Amino acid sequence: MTTTLSKVEAPTIDVAKALRGNRRRRAARATTVLTALAVLVCALFVVTMMIGSFRIGPFDVIASVLRLSDNAGVDFVVRELRLPTAMSGLGVGLALGASGTIFQQVLRNPLASPDFVGVTSGAGLAAVVAIVLMGTGGLVVSGLALGGAVLAASLMYVLAWKDGVTGYRFILIGIGIAAFFDGLIGFVLSHARLFEARQAMHWLTGSVGQASDTELRLLFGGLLVLLPVAVLLQRPLRALDLGDDTARTLGTRAELSRAALLGTALVLVALAVSVAGPIVFVALIAGPIANRLLGPATGGIVAAALVGAATLLAADLVAVHLLPTALPTGVVTGAVGAPYLLWLLATTNRQGAGG
Amino acid sequence: MSRLATKELTLGYEARDVVSDLDVTIPDGKVTAIVGANACGKSTLLRGLARLLTPRGGAVYLDGKALADQRTQDVAKVLGLLPQTPVAPDGITVADLVSRGRYPHQGWFRRWNDNDHDAVGRALAATGTADLIDRPIKSLSGGQRQRVWVAMALAQDTDLLLLDEPTTYLDINHQVELLRLLRQLNAESGKTIVVVLHDLNLACRFVDHLIAMSGGRIVAEGVPTEVVTADLVEDVFGLSCLVVPDPVAGTPMIVPA
Repeated sequence: MTTTLSKVEAPTIDVAKALRGNRRRRAARATTVLTALAVLVCALFVVTMMIGSFRIGPFDVIASVLRLSDNAGVDFVVRELRLPTAMSGLGVGLALGASGTIFQQVLRNPLASPDFVGVTSGAGLAAVVAIVLMGTGGLVVSGLALGGAVLAASLMYVLAWKDGVTGYRFILIGIGIAAFFDGLIGFVLSHARLFEARQAMHWLTGSVGQASDTELRLLFGGLLVLLPVAVLLQRPLRALDLGDDTARTLGTRAELSRAALLGTALVLVALAVSVAGPIVFVALIAGPIANRLLGPATGGIVAAALVGAATLLAADLVAVHLLPTALPTGVVTGAVGAPYLLWLLATTNRQGAGG
Repeated sequence: MSRLATKELTLGYEARDVVSDLDVTIPDGKVTAIVGANACGKSTLLRGLARLLTPRGGAVYLDGKALADQRTQDVAKVLGLLPQTPVAPDGITVADLVSRGRYPHQGWFRRWNDNDHDAVGRALAATGTADLIDRPIKSLSGGQRQRVWVAMALAQDTDLLLLDEPTTYLDINHQVELLRLLRQLNAESGKTIVVVLHDLNLACRFVDHLIAMSGGRIVAEGVPTEVVTADLVEDVFGLSCLVVPDPVAGTPMIVPA
């Protein structure tokens, strides 16, 4: 055994050195990526408030938002007209990005975005009922949508529960619930008058430009509490990544951690949908893009949240300013996201890694 | 009393009890194999020992205390398990995977420190996977991949290590290589190792202690040379055979009759 031991001793030092280097490189990469993403999000946030029928310079925008200037005209355009849209794009993007990557990691499936399970459809049904049958608008619609999302989420969790919640069961039940709610949405819409149907369709496409102050306060309140929670839960998530058996032998309370993670993600997506309607594909693509930037299997929730915000702010700029007619944000994210989804379906099947 | 033992342990899934009233003692500092025909309850017993199944009756004792009453994270510092079919996220690298074995030694806010580096370094060196650290798991051969998983379990730095059929998907060369590795780990660090194995010949050749199960009960346990007989093999596997000494090590070798 002495020969084996001496053979092992010498390289150990090199291995530890290589590991340290490896870890340092990864940490440096994470810092660079997060800084770059934060700068990009800030830039898009400012640009969103610069352009429009009345152009404003970046410093005027920043000064006005931070209340450093005193120009009534600029202040009105920036703070009253454009800031709510920019805030909504930022908050909804952060929430969608974070919740999407949590879903994908916990359910161990790149297709398991909250878009495809019942949450968004639950919110959509509640909103359509509010618009068409109750003839209401604004805050009531958002409140009911939030309720619908939470209801769909709870229903999904209860139905998927069987000695704990596993990936495939949860996704299949979610798709079933989504189909059921989508059917009901169609039914309600077919009974709507033209004006209300149009309004409902607009809501169902999703847009960041319709948020009220109360909604934004709720959204950012939620983000302020839930994003730090998500960052803390990143630790058990890294163990859950390795399957329940390994996670539990590593000392995680697997079921509890999963419930906390899914709960956090569900509330985030419910808040996002209630503010902006069902904006598709942002939650689906944020996680994979973040992983591409940070390195494989890193699963950074903050990075995914920032990617979500950048994507949504950029999509809204394109939807409102670059296209000949201003469109709801959801049209642009859908147009960009659908090809990605097809690519994902094609490649995951080829690798046989659908589960 | 040994560190890991069961008393009147009953385990099962849904309506069915798979093992009942088992009294098992795992000898400290030895390599133990649990063998038996398919569906005899050997993996169930291992899952019970690893706390992945809650006892329906009786208890598993770790260091004299019922396993079910101990904190998950405390157990994870003493007892590690390599599951039968471990899963890993897409694209994960060897360094990342093996590092995750340090989980129970870290807290919510504790940073990665020198102990962690040393433990991971030792695990990689011991399993001969040190030059693979930047490779994605997916790109490795079956034998390499299994050694990397063993490295992850080693990085956890536990006194007891359980492995559920670690040789299943390996060819004969890699099966032997893996069992030699387990022997070496046991010799170098005195680690108690329990391994579920299919191949009785390999078990006889490489372990100190054998637990033979059939129909959820223990049929025989002890040193392979003493317990493995033609009658036992007939009993456990329903195979009529001759038991002859292994020409290299002299351990029992089963030859179908």
